[in-house]
Amino acid sequence: MTSSRNSDRFSLPLCLCGQFLFFLAGSLLLMAYALPARADNSDRAKALSKKVMCMCGGCNDTAGTCNHTGGAFSGPCDTAKAMQKEVADRVNRGDSDDLVLQSFVQEYGPTVLPDPPKKGFTWLVWIAPIALPLFALYLIWEVVRRWRRRQQLAPAGGPPISADLLDRARRESHGDLRE
Amino acid sequence: MDIFGSFALLLAFLAAVYAFVAGIIGIVQHRTLLGKSARNAGMAVFGLVTLAVVTLEYFFFTDNFTLAYVAAHSNHALPWYYKFSSLWAGQEGSLLWWSWLLSIWTFFALFLNRRKHPELMPYVGVTLAGVQIFFLTLNNFVASPFRVLAAAGPDGAMHVARVAEGTGLNPLLQYPEMVIHPPMLYLGYTGFTIPFAFAMAALLGRYPGEKWIHITRRWTMVAWCFQGIGVLLGAHWAYAVLGWGGYWAWDPVENAALLPWITGTAFLHSVMMQEKRGMMKVWNVWLVFVTFMLCILGTSLTRTGIVSSVHAFAESNIGGYFFGFLGIVLLVCLAAWFKNRDYLRSDNQLDSLVSRESSFLFNNLILLAACFAILWGTLFPVLSEAATGSKISVGPPFFNKVEVPIALFLLLLTGVGPLLAWRKTSTDALKRNFLWPVVAGLVAGVIAFALGWRDIYPLMCLILCVFVALTIFAEFYRGARVISQRDGGNLLAAAGELTMRNTRRYGGYIVHFAMVMIFIGVAGSAFNQDIQKEMNIGDSLRIGPYTVLCQNFDQPSNDNYESNRATLEVFRNGRSEMMLYPERRFFRTSQVTETVVAIESTAVHDLYIVYAGRTPDTNIPVIHAYLNPLVKWIWFGGIVMVLGTILAMFPDRRAALVIRAATDRPWAGEPAPSPVTATMNRSSSND
Repeated sequence: MTSSRNSDRFSLPLCLCGQFLFFLAGSLLLMAYALPARADNSDRAKALSKKVMCMCGGCNDTAGTCNHTGGAFSGPCDTAKAMQKEVADRVNRGDSDDLVLQSFVQEYGPTVLPDPPKKGFTWLVWIAPIALPLFALYLIWEVVRRWRRRQQLAPAGGPPISADLLDRARRESHGDLRE
Repeated sequence: MDIFGSFALLLAFLAAVYAFVAGIIGIVQHRTLLGKSARNAGMAVFGLVTLAVVTLEYFFFTDNFTLAYVAAHSNHALPWYYKFSSLWAGQEGSLLWWSWLLSIWTFFALFLNRRKHPELMPYVGVTLAGVQIFFLTLNNFVASPFRVLAAAGPDGAMHVARVAEGTGLNPLLQYPEMVIHPPMLYLGYTGFTIPFAFAMAALLGRYPGEKWIHITRRWTMVAWCFQGIGVLLGAHWAYAVLGWGGYWAWDPVENAALLPWITGTAFLHSVMMQEKRGMMKVWNVWLVFVTFMLCILGTSLTRTGIVSSVHAFAESNIGGYFFGFLGIVLLVCLAAWFKNRDYLRSDNQLDSLVSRESSFLFNNLILLAACFAILWGTLFPVLSEAATGSKISVGPPFFNKVEVPIALFLLLLTGVGPLLAWRKTSTDALKRNFLWPVVAGLVAGVIAFALGWRDIYPLMCLILCVFVALTIFAEFYRGARVISQRDGGNLLAAAGELTMRNTRRYGGYIVHFAMVMIFIGVAGSAFNQDIQKEMNIGDSLRIGPYTVLCQNFDQPSNDNYESNRATLEVFRNGRSEMMLYPERRFFRTSQVTETVVAIESTAVHDLYIVYAGRTPDTNIPVIHAYLNPLVKWIWFGGIVMVLGTILAMFPDRRAALVIRAATDRPWAGEPAPSPVTATMNRSSSND
């Protein structure tokens, strides 16, 4: 019995090892093949155009990924194309990333930034998704702590049993055993 | 004929009102016959709304442009299958579609349970009728699809008018998936009404035990599965039609479809706590309530256009009705909960933080956090404008920053949760279950890092995917090995046997594996490449292992559209591999231009080519090529998710054998159960 359990203990990791190697080799080969080294970021303009919203008013996407639909076009709309060109011109001129983004904020206001600014009222959009789960986590922790404390305080044997009831239980259990 | 449709809708409304009022009187005055009559009225709604739907389809197929809705969404040249799907292309039709799908769910829920749960079903019928009344009110009095076109005649009186040709279906909707995506999504949205009705009924009727959970589990899984399919089909449609190389843009309507699916997922996990340990009763009831309310919110976002979205194909002023209904639902939920909150007291409490219960608790917390963050980001521009007067944008970068870490944590729990024991897990069990998967994940991470992966999220995703996949394989392996050692069969057959013995558990694992596949696919997007180039005939571009050579440009056309098409030959390692034909189509009636993307999809990557039009100055065609790694894993993951869900809905073979054994028993005496049944019963306690 013991030896079979021991052999189980060894064979399980071995089999898992085999599975692991198979799965790992497969997935890594696949990924290494599929995912060549990430394209370098020399194309700053492309990255920057994804940091400004398309201001056509018909979509909720960035200028770099605009797929404005339902109009007389699809793919980037004319507004997005113009914004992409403006980004490219400024990058070619040597403007820094911040300068490019600031120029769009001056032109369109803060709504051009897909990341809401972290100040004033809009701080809330960033804080709430972090603060609320943390608060919920605290509540869970607190509830669990109380439960556990209550369990520790509870009498181990449960409610008291009368002597008559105890006698009856003993009699019946002896009877069961005799049967 | 339009009168026929309108009349059927009006009768459906009256039947729903009768089912609601008679149902309440039946409950209050304990009048069983009246209750049955109310139930029959609830089922009759299905037949009546079906008549209305058939009538509207008849108008589409006969090109009857006296109806404003048909004239706005169809035309003579439209193929028959798009005429069929035009039913839900606009506001009025899609609301009718909602009502019809809800009436189907209602019919089956009432019919299949007509002889069961007599204390519960009257409440279920009333709740379902209440929801039906709302949508049938919209169908009849706010957004009727049977409005006719009218024009003043020579006598000055208004007459029914007819236009010679309809406007046609929005070209974006002229895609095969659009014939099945909205029905799937709406089956999900409407399907969650059934668990909502049962939860409300159990609460109002103070139905004893966890019976309502057992009844609704399969209904919830079906609705959840439809919602998941709908979301994935929508993502695939966005990928294949919109021509921007991606499938998910955190658009408000996309987000709205995801929200009830997330809370539904949380519910499907937390019900196990209630079934096994009698815990989280309040939580479960509220999860169902919230899921239903999110379905209504999602429908309203799609239909009302209160937040700008590329998917809001209808914009109108019916938002007030939806938000009024949401307010009523919330009030009813709060009142029902407050009145019966003592009924929801937990039977047990958490024994340890390292237990299956706590993993479900964390799973629910994380899912709800994900749901809240999406909802918050989606509605924040509206809130901000109301509070400060200035409009801000909450775009994809925000959602990626917030949601990606949450999703990775969820992925971790997918691997950890199922391997923890109920009540408390020993340190030995932790080591036994997790040591090798953790080591494997870390080794995979180190190798990927050595191969040049530097982005933290794809790296973590890979580590977690390996970890979770191995924990799932290990679970199958352990169980299958026990069976194969006992019965002498091979491991694969034993794994099948194991799965069929506890379909819920192992079906769940398959769904978890589907999530791993989807995560692998999504992680691939971190490595997307693209290139855009002006190309004349004979020009070529290179992307990844492919060389794309431009062979020809032509202009095929038919009655529905005229097209500009590129003929591209794709070479790989110097060998010609395939021809691709990206197009831009100009639809004659709607005067809209639409992209038709050419995609060559493999398990490794997608070559995705868009004919982006001609440069205005030079009139040279522009080709935009993308190389998107691993996208196919997402769609395959979706298929595996559906298979896993279907499997989890099957009854266990164990249960079937036990029943058969019981029925095979001789009348006199009671022999011991067969060894097979006894073994199966012993192994039944670990769901």
